[in-house]
Amino acid sequence: MTGEALVLQVMTGLSRAAVLFIVASGLSLVFGAMRIVNIAHGSFYMVGAFVAVTVAGWLGGVVGFVGALLVVPLVVAALGGLIEVGALRRLYGKEHLLQLLATFAFLLIVSDVVRFIYGERPQSLRAPPLLSGATRFGDVFFPRYSLFLMAAAVVIGLGLWLLLSRTGLGRDIRAAVSDPEMLGMVGVNVSRLFTVVFALGAGLAGLGGVLAGPQTTILLGMDIDIIVESFAVVIIGGLGSLVGTAVGAVLVGVTFALGITFIPSAALAIVFVVMVAVLVWRPYGLFGIPQEA
Amino acid sequence: MRRRLTASTGWAIAALVALLAPLLLNERQMFVLMSIVILAVFATSYNVLLGYTGMVSFAHAAYYGIGAYAVTLAWVHLGWSPLAGFLLAPVAAGAIGYVTGLVALRATRLYFSLLTLAIGQLLFLVAFQWRGLTRGDDGIFGMQLPLLLQPATNRYYFLLALAAIALAILSVAMRSPFGATLRAIRENRDRAGFLGIKVKRYELAAFTLGTAFAGWAGGMYAFFDRGSFPLLLDWTTSADPIFTTLIGGLNSFAGPVIGAVVLGLLRDFVTRNFLYFNVVLGTVLLAIILFMPGGIVEGVRRLAAVGGPGRRRTQPEQPADREQPAAAGTRSKS
Repeated sequence: MTGEALVLQVMTGLSRAAVLFIVASGLSLVFGAMRIVNIAHGSFYMVGAFVAVTVAGWLGGVVGFVGALLVVPLVVAALGGLIEVGALRRLYGKEHLLQLLATFAFLLIVSDVVRFIYGERPQSLRAPPLLSGATRFGDVFFPRYSLFLMAAAVVIGLGLWLLLSRTGLGRDIRAAVSDPEMLGMVGVNVSRLFTVVFALGAGLAGLGGVLAGPQTTILLGMDIDIIVESFAVVIIGGLGSLVGTAVGAVLVGVTFALGITFIPSAALAIVFVVMVAVLVWRPYGLFGIPQEA
Repeated sequence: MRRRLTASTGWAIAALVALLAPLLLNERQMFVLMSIVILAVFATSYNVLLGYTGMVSFAHAAYYGIGAYAVTLAWVHLGWSPLAGFLLAPVAAGAIGYVTGLVALRATRLYFSLLTLAIGQLLFLVAFQWRGLTRGDDGIFGMQLPLLLQPATNRYYFLLALAAIALAILSVAMRSPFGATLRAIRENRDRAGFLGIKVKRYELAAFTLGTAFAGWAGGMYAFFDRGSFPLLLDWTTSADPIFTTLIGGLNSFAGPVIGAVVLGLLRDFVTRNFLYFNVVLGTVLLAIILFMPGGIVEGVRRLAAVGGPGRRRTQPEQPADREQPAAAGTRSKS
């Protein structure tokens, strides 16, 4: 294999890592602040991708994609907020298993609703011309959309970091990560905070769905695929850690892309081997903090 | 005492219905019944982990699939009769369960669950990708059953007998001091440790026992479908016993069996009339989680407590009085 092809493979891995980071950061955030393992997180990603197709279809052209990018995360965040207020809220303080199973129930419901509305046919979303094609650096042509995805992940990552470290909301979220009960005692409206966090997490998954749209086939079952990969990311990185999620996403994305090149049939298996190895070595992930979960 | 009696009556009626059902049912319905019997064993084996020990595993389907493949692979590669292959099913699943359990139990609680997800998917990918051994995605089908087992009715009685044996063994195990120790671990893992119980060792034993009987159920599936395919091992298949147990009730031995009957009939009814089964299942689950977290068993107990005299002691907020009405009658089933 030539060096050029290898660089391209790594680029593919990094652009997948970018999407994984955006989706998994939402998963990690929800777990960190609320202690909920949200199995329906992949459903938000899938809904994001499908609704983006609809919105882009309505608006048409370049405006369509940009419009979807702006509108869809809000729609998906609203859906997340609705689920939190309607169902999850009633389960706080009960067994974790019930919360986990409730999100599993939503995974089932959402998958059938999407199937009802969009049918079994695969959909596609086109990136605007500005982001299609390739840009040349030296001797290598880089696909522009991959570069765009990486830039988007960096922007989202910085945004989340600023949100968590510089705002009142971020302070409350960090407090919830370390001790939600105490947070309620000092007068923070924990109930509203949880709604916001869950909506934010869902919105990130929805955004990931829109961004991944032009690079993947938008198809039923993409919810299950992304949730397994996102779990791998947050487990390797450590649940609740933003830096860990970034490292985990790069590790999973690049490992998978290189795996596909060299041993295609075992690519996904290698990801899981890495996951098992990391957990056996560090049971809380690379950047996770030991805690009661 | 009274509860014991009710439970044995319940099991006796269930056994009678199960034995007489073939007289009334057509062939399609016989296959529904067989799938229910298999699901009952699969879910009960899972409840050893979930309800008795408090472990949430996402890998349970992997051992179920291993059980099915043990039968079909022994048939394809070694030329074994399925009956001989069936003996291999719980052994293979239990052995792999023991080894992977050693790895998974490096972590606890949530991280244990997530580790089982990785291990289960790894096992799924082996079945999916190792074409030389498993024929990959195509699966292995068309296994020749012994002549006697080819009619649906005979196959049903065979599977029913296998289910009865499995349930009898598990019920004895769960009523033994071993089962009591597992419940102590579920109630309070730390305190059980302080009492001198070697928690990890018991958890590993429960994991191995559960996976061995998941393999048993998988072996039954190989007879049912005369084959096996990779999706049997996928983590989404692990949802089946979880949902079954949830519907029936986590805190009793009979819960998963009742859940299997309800889920099996519901699935058959809905899929024949309506294209979207998942939305129905999801809604049912959500309703149970929100309004009846103890499942059907708990719901019935609550009704009985309201209706019957002199049983005022029910506190709905407590997740079931942890007593287990199991079993006295399981023997009557075999």
